[in-house]
Amino acid sequence: MLAFTFRRLLALIPVFLAVSLIIFLILHLIPGDPVDNLIKIGASAGQRAEIEARYGLDRPLPVQYLVWLGNVLQGDLGTAIVGRRAVSAIVAQALPYSLMLGGCALLFSSILGIALGIVAALKRDRWPDQAIMGGVLIGSTMPGFWLGLMLILVFAVWLGWFPVSGARGWTSLVLPVLTVGLGGTALVARVTRIAMIEAGQRDFVLLLHAKGLPVWRIQLFHVLRHALIPVVTILALRIGWILGGSVTVEVVFARPGLGSTLIKALAQHDYPVVQACLLMLAVAVMLGTLLGDILQAVMDPRVRTALQ
Amino acid sequence: MFHRLSRAFLASAVSALALMTSGAMAQEIVFVLNTSEVGTPTYNPVVAANLNTATNLIYDRLVEMDMNRDFHPHLAESWEEAEDGMSWVFHLRQGVTFHNGEPFDAQTVADWLALFKGSDNEYMVQAIDKVEVVDDTTVKLVMKNPEPNLLYNLGSANMGVVEPKSYVALGEDYGVTDAIGTGPFRLESFAVGQETVLVRNDDYAWPTELTANQGPAKFERAVFREIPEDSTAFLELKTGGVDMLLNVPTDFLGEVEKEPDLGTVTLPGVDLYYMVMNVTKAPFDDIRVREAAAKAINQQEILDNIYNGVGLVADTFLISGLAESHVADQYRIRYDPMRANALLDEAGWVMGADGIRAKDGQPLKIDLWTQSDSGFRRLTEVVQAQLKAVGIDATITTFDSSTIRDEYKNGEHQAAVRSYFWDNADIIDWFFGGDRLGYPNISMFNDPKAEELRAKAMTGSRNREERVANFIAYHEYVLSQFPFGPIYQPMAIVGYNKTRVKVPENLKAPTFQHLAIMDMEAVE
Amino acid sequence: MNMAAALAPAATALRSPKGAIAGGWLLLVILGAILAPWLTPYGYDVQNLPGAFQPPNAQHWLGTDEFGRDLLTRLLYGARTSLSVSAVAIGISVTAGLILGAVAGYFGGRLDRAVTVVVDLTWSFPEILVALILVAIVGPGVTGTLAAIGVAYLAQFTRLARAQIMAIRAETYVEAARSLGASDAFILFRHLIPNTLSPVLVAAMLATGDAIILEATLGFFGLGAQPPIPSWGAMMSSGTAQLFRAPGIILFPGLCVAATVVAINLYGDALVRALDIRSRARTH
Repeated sequence: MLAFTFRRLLALIPVFLAVSLIIFLILHLIPGDPVDNLIKIGASAGQRAEIEARYGLDRPLPVQYLVWLGNVLQGDLGTAIVGRRAVSAIVAQALPYSLMLGGCALLFSSILGIALGIVAALKRDRWPDQAIMGGVLIGSTMPGFWLGLMLILVFAVWLGWFPVSGARGWTSLVLPVLTVGLGGTALVARVTRIAMIEAGQRDFVLLLHAKGLPVWRIQLFHVLRHALIPVVTILALRIGWILGGSVTVEVVFARPGLGSTLIKALAQHDYPVVQACLLMLAVAVMLGTLLGDILQAVMDPRVRTALQ
Repeated sequence: MFHRLSRAFLASAVSALALMTSGAMAQEIVFVLNTSEVGTPTYNPVVAANLNTATNLIYDRLVEMDMNRDFHPHLAESWEEAEDGMSWVFHLRQGVTFHNGEPFDAQTVADWLALFKGSDNEYMVQAIDKVEVVDDTTVKLVMKNPEPNLLYNLGSANMGVVEPKSYVALGEDYGVTDAIGTGPFRLESFAVGQETVLVRNDDYAWPTELTANQGPAKFERAVFREIPEDSTAFLELKTGGVDMLLNVPTDFLGEVEKEPDLGTVTLPGVDLYYMVMNVTKAPFDDIRVREAAAKAINQQEILDNIYNGVGLVADTFLISGLAESHVADQYRIRYDPMRANALLDEAGWVMGADGIRAKDGQPLKIDLWTQSDSGFRRLTEVVQAQLKAVGIDATITTFDSSTIRDEYKNGEHQAAVRSYFWDNADIIDWFFGGDRLGYPNISMFNDPKAEELRAKAMTGSRNREERVANFIAYHEYVLSQFPFGPIYQPMAIVGYNKTRVKVPENLKAPTFQHLAIMDMEAVE
Repeated sequence: MNMAAALAPAATALRSPKGAIAGGWLLLVILGAILAPWLTPYGYDVQNLPGAFQPPNAQHWLGTDEFGRDLLTRLLYGARTSLSVSAVAIGISVTAGLILGAVAGYFGGRLDRAVTVVVDLTWSFPEILVALILVAIVGPGVTGTLAAIGVAYLAQFTRLARAQIMAIRAETYVEAARSLGASDAFILFRHLIPNTLSPVLVAAMLATGDAIILEATLGFFGLGAQPPIPSWGAMMSSGTAQLFRAPGIILFPGLCVAATVVAINLYGDALVRALDIRSRARTH
């Protein structure tokens, strides 16, 4: 198992290099000179050169990339151009908020999605199935920001149950988690339902039925266990998607986090911050995939035996 | 016995009272900064182009301006200006210390003023030739030329007195990781674009005579949140998430007044909205097109419908409270669609069937830039429709408020709807000076006659009256060249939750900023 | 594939009640978008400031917005922008993805590996992030939105097309064509690509639903269609400021987006059933 994890980790290294190169390059395609953000018009050439040197902007691109990558690996993400602080500090400040929101949303959509998926699978093609699948479809088709605004209108403005924005206390987490989570629920419910139905048609289930085990035990302990494998995989693959969903939601709820930091930095052409946020999101996506692989291996006996 | 009892009673009463007041004092007040102050990157007043309201609570200034534009002592107890305006002597208050324990004295003032050299704000001290430390509490400024605006500069946020040693020690980080002044609050934490937390300076014993409170602030913590969207900020106030909005847009005024728990304070505003045109880019290189565009803007319609009639129309570049705004009537820029159409006809732009003018087959299309928050977008959409009414087809492009300045520096813009926040006539110099093309001089206006009048207004005035006269001449000339079209002067409206905070009734301050906050209380 | 054969499943999909309702709504929205200028007496950009914030009434069935413009009119014109931008962007995405995926899948080797790596990278990245980066490069507006959506969904179609081509490239008729001396290009464009079209087109239809949401999100950030041109996203963006005063400004466009995307999904599902390609069409 350990060797498997290690191999998977090694396989991530070229992917990481490729991602970091893309992240580095894309941002240099953006029009506009970051030096202009730092000095006023008419500043002397000397001041300009000094700032270019400080941010490494005067060197050729490949060198800039290597310097940047070397620094990144050492945990030095550069200095924010607009914020004039260590980017690592900005990211460190934003990350917990995003992890909190992303984690809670993931948990919420997993639990709700799996529960709904099970119910839908058990009542396949009857009205609860239709209702649940219809409901989650509608939930997944609403733009995240719009759902967020509607939730604000109802639960924060009309009912006054939760704060409108910000990140002060757990109550301010409820509406953002609902917004991000509801969007993800649809996918989880859909996958759970199909996986349950498919797993339920396997031979071993017939065998268990023949043995006379109660239906609920078969479904919850045996079928569900098999059905969860694709669900976990999908969840892990879509961690980036959950984080992406948080981008808009963080903006709507004026919540600090990687998403709102990224949006602001993009608008301000603050390269180091944009790069750091994208890199963090990319790493999260990669780690999610890795986690999915490992969980899948742990849960799937076939993969497990193949490893031994 | 009786005495002892009564004394014990008194003591317990006093301590109970102290407990009660300290309970009240231990509270925090959550403010929401004006949307135009969102994203202010630093609390370094020496280099910053923009500073937010919290800045004035961290720093004190030598002098303080009141609502009548008169100046009062603060860190300077008194001052004398030489007859010829060529030197000023300031007598400093004793016993003032910075947040890091350093004393404030004449040498501090000299070291602090030296920091401005080479910064963006050097113009504020440009007229000062040298600073002489006479004794610990006396400092003499020897001038290059008379500067009638010196007290204004000394009272502005950019001239909040920083502690020079830590300023040098922190370098680039100053104003971001830490900021050290003598003000009633010290900086606890600052997250750009999110929030700033200030804690009370308990040693504060040097307030101005403009506040009723003569000791430390009446509440312990001040949190300044930055919320970029006005509607979110308003909803936070309405639902009790925050205690005070430092700027309530007028279209929310009715909503605030509907809420029994909310109150407002309305003061004359110090900002002005206008549309600026790039005089070097066609079609605005033709003064007739500029005048037509400026006179196509229906200021009254905007005031009545977008701002519910709260505030004033703008017809010059300065807020009405300034003497320099009193230009001759012929220079005022007012809505005049007949004149606008006539000028465009005269310039050869012929009205087409689709309602858009054209010349030599080229339609009269312009790019109209604005900032991405909803207030600006709404105003700009109205301006767009008004321009279309005289046959100008404007395409709106929005930018983040921090990037738009960089975009101006490229000089590619044609026109933009924007606003400024300043209450001194030198804003004309700032935005139309020939040596600041791009930004701040977005109009790219660089005219020899204007430069001559500008130099006279900025450095050639011996006293306030002369300065006013010189600035009016400069102002009138700029108006006659139509590098911009004035739109609107808002009121400054502060909204607060009556159940949470108590707001001073008689404000002596020109704006609802540090002086008002010093007299604010948190309600138990 | 001839026209009649192509349209037959589309008609079959309308037979189920869900498919019929969904198809009906889509038809309504598309017709409304096309016929907007003839359906409403108002212009989408004609302001009437004193008449702002009207509730629904006989003159303005859905009320007016903050500039006194008729909301229904703007919804109809907004459908034009939103639908056409999403459809064109997905069209670009499908075309490019089909060619890229087919070429990679057909020739294999190093090219295939390179394409796969890049595709996997962008695929695992949230679409909104890819789109935001592209808008940052191209600039806000309809062109930027087109590019952003086009690239954001490129990976999905490349992946799908590649998988489809891989599945059928070894089939006998392909071998037969090759042994008859047909060129690679001929085999690709005459035999392989046409045979992958139906699952790709169904996937494209479903993606158009997602693209409408993405377009709305970009519009919400003020990066999509610029005023006064309405799009559903742009309408909601300016409606944010009026959320509590006139919720209709943001409610109706949001409902339109949701209803249209639901309809696309339901109709897509019905189409999948009609085509019997369910297992192949869903990429995630």
